[in-house]
Amino acid sequence: MKTMTYVEALRDGMRFEMNKDPNVYLAGEDVGIFGGCFGQTAGLYQEFGPERVIDTPITETAIIGHAVGAAASGLRPIVEIMFIDFTGVCMDEILNQATKMRYMFGGKAKVPMVIRTPCGAGVGAAAQHSQSLEAFFTHIPGMKVVMPSVAADARGLMIAAIRDDNPVMYIEHKGLLGVEGEVPEGDVIVPLGKADIKKEGSDVTIVAWSAMVGKAMSAAASLEKEGISAEVLDPRTLKPLDIDSILSSVAKTGKLVIVHEANKTGGFGGEIAALVADEGFDYLNAPIKRVTAPDSPVPFSPVLEKAYVPGEEKIIAAVKELFA
Amino acid sequence: MATVGIIANPASGKDIRRLVSYGTVFDNQEKVNIVRRIILGLSAVGVARVLYMPDYYGIVPQALDGLRREDKVSLRVERADIELTADQQDSLNAAIFMRESGVGCIVTLGGDGTNRMVAKGCGNIPLLPVSTGTNNVFPGMIEGTVAGMAAGVVALGIADGPPAVMPTKKLVIYKKGQPVDIALIDAVTLRDRFVGARAIWETERLLQAVVTRGEPHNIGIASVVGNIEPVTPDSDEGMSLEFGTEGRLVLSPIAPGLIVKVGVKGYKKIRIGDEVRIIRKPCIIALDGEREVEVKEDEEACIKLTFDGPRVVDVKSVLSERVKKWAGERSKGWRINGF
Amino acid sequence: MEVTKETLLGFYETMVTIRTFEEKAMELFAAGYIPGFVHLYIGEEAVATGVCANLTERDFITSTHRGHGHLIAKGGKIDLMMAELMGKVTGYCKGKGGSMHIADVDLGILGANGIVGAGQPIAAGAAFACKYKKEDNVCVCFFGDGASNRGTFHEALNLASVFNLPVIYVCENNLYGISNCQRDHMNVSDISDRAASYGIPGVSVDGNDVMAVYEAAAEAVKRARKGEGPSMIECKTWRHRGHFEGDPGIYKSAKEQEAWIKKDPIIKLEKKLLEYEYASEDELNAIKDTAKERIEAAVEFAKNSPDPEPEDVLRDVYAD
Repeated sequence: MKTMTYVEALRDGMRFEMNKDPNVYLAGEDVGIFGGCFGQTAGLYQEFGPERVIDTPITETAIIGHAVGAAASGLRPIVEIMFIDFTGVCMDEILNQATKMRYMFGGKAKVPMVIRTPCGAGVGAAAQHSQSLEAFFTHIPGMKVVMPSVAADARGLMIAAIRDDNPVMYIEHKGLLGVEGEVPEGDVIVPLGKADIKKEGSDVTIVAWSAMVGKAMSAAASLEKEGISAEVLDPRTLKPLDIDSILSSVAKTGKLVIVHEANKTGGFGGEIAALVADEGFDYLNAPIKRVTAPDSPVPFSPVLEKAYVPGEEKIIAAVKELFA
Repeated sequence: MATVGIIANPASGKDIRRLVSYGTVFDNQEKVNIVRRIILGLSAVGVARVLYMPDYYGIVPQALDGLRREDKVSLRVERADIELTADQQDSLNAAIFMRESGVGCIVTLGGDGTNRMVAKGCGNIPLLPVSTGTNNVFPGMIEGTVAGMAAGVVALGIADGPPAVMPTKKLVIYKKGQPVDIALIDAVTLRDRFVGARAIWETERLLQAVVTRGEPHNIGIASVVGNIEPVTPDSDEGMSLEFGTEGRLVLSPIAPGLIVKVGVKGYKKIRIGDEVRIIRKPCIIALDGEREVEVKEDEEACIKLTFDGPRVVDVKSVLSERVKKWAGERSKGWRINGF
Repeated sequence: MEVTKETLLGFYETMVTIRTFEEKAMELFAAGYIPGFVHLYIGEEAVATGVCANLTERDFITSTHRGHGHLIAKGGKIDLMMAELMGKVTGYCKGKGGSMHIADVDLGILGANGIVGAGQPIAAGAAFACKYKKEDNVCVCFFGDGASNRGTFHEALNLASVFNLPVIYVCENNLYGISNCQRDHMNVSDISDRAASYGIPGVSVDGNDVMAVYEAAAEAVKRARKGEGPSMIECKTWRHRGHFEGDPGIYKSAKEQEAWIKKDPIIKLEKKLLEYEYASEDELNAIKDTAKERIEAAVEFAKNSPDPEPEDVLRDVYAD
């Protein structure tokens, strides 16, 4: 175990795989000597050189598009889209190429590529640099989506994502990059599709991911003092989703609150709610609650942004509603 | 009514030499721009009408569309009524149409290849060739504005005959005794069977050549001649060459940026009217740089040098003559178009 | 360029096979054997043939919605293609892709593509892989005049240029983006001119002359293999059929039709072969008959093949 920040951990995951597999390379805007917009790739250019840590032009379509071609021809690209918001300009390459090739070709192609991209509000970056768009990508068959919430997962999911033979959206939260945690060293992966119970509890299940896990944990601590025992579950991978772990937790607690930073309508919380309603209706003794951002773009003013991002108090309020 | 023809070949300057050497990139927007300058030049000297070769791209209509409002020209612009084939036949058909319509001068935008096609149809009409092709000997690099003015002066009848309008030489290709094609600068036989991508760049395939001219500052096969024993455009002789590595090696720029040692086994000057037999067959004859005529093993073929090539406008002389005429006219109290 | 009789007869065989395949597909579509959309390559055979003749199995191509010709020229198996067109489980994609998505990754065929222009960055990626692995293989990207208006064209060519990738962009300019004539969808007549903006050479050739295409592609491929970077070849051609089967092509004039049919690439080559006595009329007919037989056999194979099982829907979504 080693203490690392989230960003160090995800970088260490890339470094570990790049050392192990010469077919792994990293490409994106300013990932080279500049070290990535948030320092995610700092030092990798010096370590692996310009042939494996590649600065691209500002060209999202070609970044993803070339990765599809390279992956289908035997490489394992890690490509960075500087902000998840920018996937709007390369959606065809994600939606119709990377994730469709294998199926369209009758299973005769492999497209092992990782799209690394930061999400999340809280840094005053406004509507085009702050979104949480994970639900878009969960809607695409052929895609896997991971969203680490802590440093250890950032590393373990990174290694697993690179080794996976499918396109994986690796969504890192800007607000978490500097958060420290204990990280196992060596060849340790966090398997895709495996949830993590962050805190055990018996009265209510709070499902949260990415930056919302921390907030759910604080809320759970406050609730504990008021006599409500909350279980906090981080799915870590949204697709494939570890629905069994969620169902087992709900079977135990009978109540479910889902927390995400993305907008409410069409958010992934709705999918989890539907799955639990479908497969775990009998476990429930209260309605399923969602705590999310409102259905607005991410605002700029710190006052507005604070009102936008779901906070601990909103989670507490939602839980308490179930006990009223 | 003074009319000038414009034949702007949209396909010139796009050939494989961009890939195998450093051929110029002369895109059609630039051709549009040149045509604009030509039209303004024509308009300024008082030409009443322009007849142009249509093309799929619409070089001339686009040129007119893009003129600034204050540059509104007074001349009429009409499309030559020809059926488009989107290949080099268009240039020939347009030239024939223009000749039959009685234009006073034809401005061409293209390379040696374009002018060769125009020459087949223009008869006695003077040509003013503006270079936009890849390897050019026949047309020169001339500013369009000035070219337009000079063409206008010729069409208006202000200048004709040497030195303003000069005769040129020509090569006629005969197969089985019949004339099948012409060249303005050179006819080169190649150890090839197909026209393919048309241009010449592989010197090891060269067999024979006949040229109307060749000077050291030329590019293409003419430069080989230029570097052995120059033949000027106005002299009444040409040259016949045979290639082969066993002969003398002549360093020649045969394509843009492609300077190679060409082996010349033998050469001799030829006179107007001389015929050069094609000895090594089967072969392809490249005319002015483009592979065109296929000659089979059993086909009798020869190349004849003549002096009945197209008449060509010498921009410098034409404009000088015009100035001289003005001087005379001004003294008579005349004014031409605002001057 | 030295071209042997055998090479030329090989071109002829490939072109005739493509034509025969397409004519059969046309017939089968009309008879209801082929679901979905079919975009035929008739009239453009010289392009795929002339280009792919310069490639080996180690080289890659990306194809388009009008991809049958590219696949056949790159060595694709016609029985698996035909079965795929009919949605059979024995097809190239087990009936999951259809005409627009046929691929054979083992042969370097990275797929036909239903999205116009999508192959351009993918081809850059395959070429990137060739360069990354320090091998001398290359990638050819086939695309149309319409696709050169897509943003992918700009991004891919720019990337290929700055990374100096071994990729050849082959534009099949058939004058139409669906029903839109080139003069109505771009203000350039030669798409090869666009290459200059990316600092790469671009040339235009007669796309109905297999020799012209072959020569230009040979130079471009040679250049790419030597590490001299990308290039573009614009092949001027014309599709004889509508955009897809069922499109009557009312946007093309009869005169235009007549002029281009005269330039049919197969007839053009046929004339040469006869003129040079590389083959007799009978020998050419024999090549045609063989192609017909092969395609009939492919049709039989496809017709006799089973459909996929409904539970196959969920197979092949992910690699394990």
